[in-house]
Amino acid sequence: MKNYFHAPTLCAASLFLVLLFVNACGGRGSSGNPQAAAPPDLNGIWSAPFTPDISKALGHQPPFTTYGAARFAKEDEFDDPLTKCLPIGPARGIQAGIMPFQIVQTPAVLTILFENQHTFRIIHTDGRSHPKDADPTWFGDSIGKWDGDTLVVDTVGLDDRTWLDTAGHEHSDQLHLVERFQKVDNNSIKWTVTFEDPKFFTEPWSITLPIARQNTEIMSYSCEENEKDRAHLRRTKK
Amino acid sequence: MKTMSSFMLGLAFFILPLPTPVFAHHGFAVEFDKDNPLTLTGTVTKMEFMNPHIYFYLDVKGKDGKVVNWAFEGGPPNVIYRQGWRKDTLKPGDVVTVKGFRAKDGTHLASCSTVKLPDGREMAGGTGGASQNAYGSAVAADGKK
Repeated sequence: MKNYFHAPTLCAASLFLVLLFVNACGGRGSSGNPQAAAPPDLNGIWSAPFTPDISKALGHQPPFTTYGAARFAKEDEFDDPLTKCLPIGPARGIQAGIMPFQIVQTPAVLTILFENQHTFRIIHTDGRSHPKDADPTWFGDSIGKWDGDTLVVDTVGLDDRTWLDTAGHEHSDQLHLVERFQKVDNNSIKWTVTFEDPKFFTEPWSITLPIARQNTEIMSYSCEENEKDRAHLRRTKK
Repeated sequence: MKTMSSFMLGLAFFILPLPTPVFAHHGFAVEFDKDNPLTLTGTVTKMEFMNPHIYFYLDVKGKDGKVVNWAFEGGPPNVIYRQGWRKDTLKPGDVVTVKGFRAKDGTHLASCSTVKLPDGREMAGGTGGASQNAYGSAVAADGKK
């Protein structure tokens, strides 16, 4: 009678069964930790409080360099790029307040769709790095990584044409933004943004604002469709 | 309970923000004079429920009997839509009272803080989420840093 209990065959069969069992259990990482849970769902319509002067959120003026302080002292709200219907920029768009934004989240990319001027941000969450020597743009290059319940977004490649707020806090093309979108509960995100710009600020500084879910839909806003203000605007400084 | 309702009324008065002109398109102080408020009553001649700001026009009869056409600027239509405005909230022929601030350039233009409608309702003209103004709303109104 043939021996069905051939040792090597038994070992192989046992190993196969073990592997089958392990795979059915969902697998384990090399560290032995459970597979990472799916990231929080940030989909929806959101808004942070309208913050026309971000120094109010900080509690004092940012740590200006001499150059930054001189620029801020001279700047006039008359020159706000938003008044010329130009793009709002990545961080100012979040704290536009009176106009909400929609987050559309997929595994590889998270988009932020601003009601303001139908503009948007694309945040790559597919593990890529920033391109080398990217041409500066209005909204820059953003990459995001999940850290538990927090999406950490790194943005470089911004040009200097946007303002950080209505009060005239400006930046250069050296601006580096780091944002933390921490989902607190189903209706709240805690948003912390760190501004680093060696031309304007002596050190990085941060503000935190609450982002709240909004019971609305994104509507249309076309800045130029009936623009009548510019003829009436006056400089606030001589 | 009488004490409770008085307390709640007091609390509401304390925390209720005054209507604050909120402009995303530009700051308030570049166009309007916070030290030059006005209240005008007139007949609506035109309503433009359009971006970036609604504009409506009133024929206002002065003390001298002459009629002057005034322009009023409010918030963006989508913002005030969320506060209850519709494109026919103001119609030509409506007699309304508007409170606002005069334009700095001296033209017959003012911001619209509130509008009292023919049915008695008072609509905010463009505060757009005053309750969301956690920071800096006073700065937006007077332009001071």
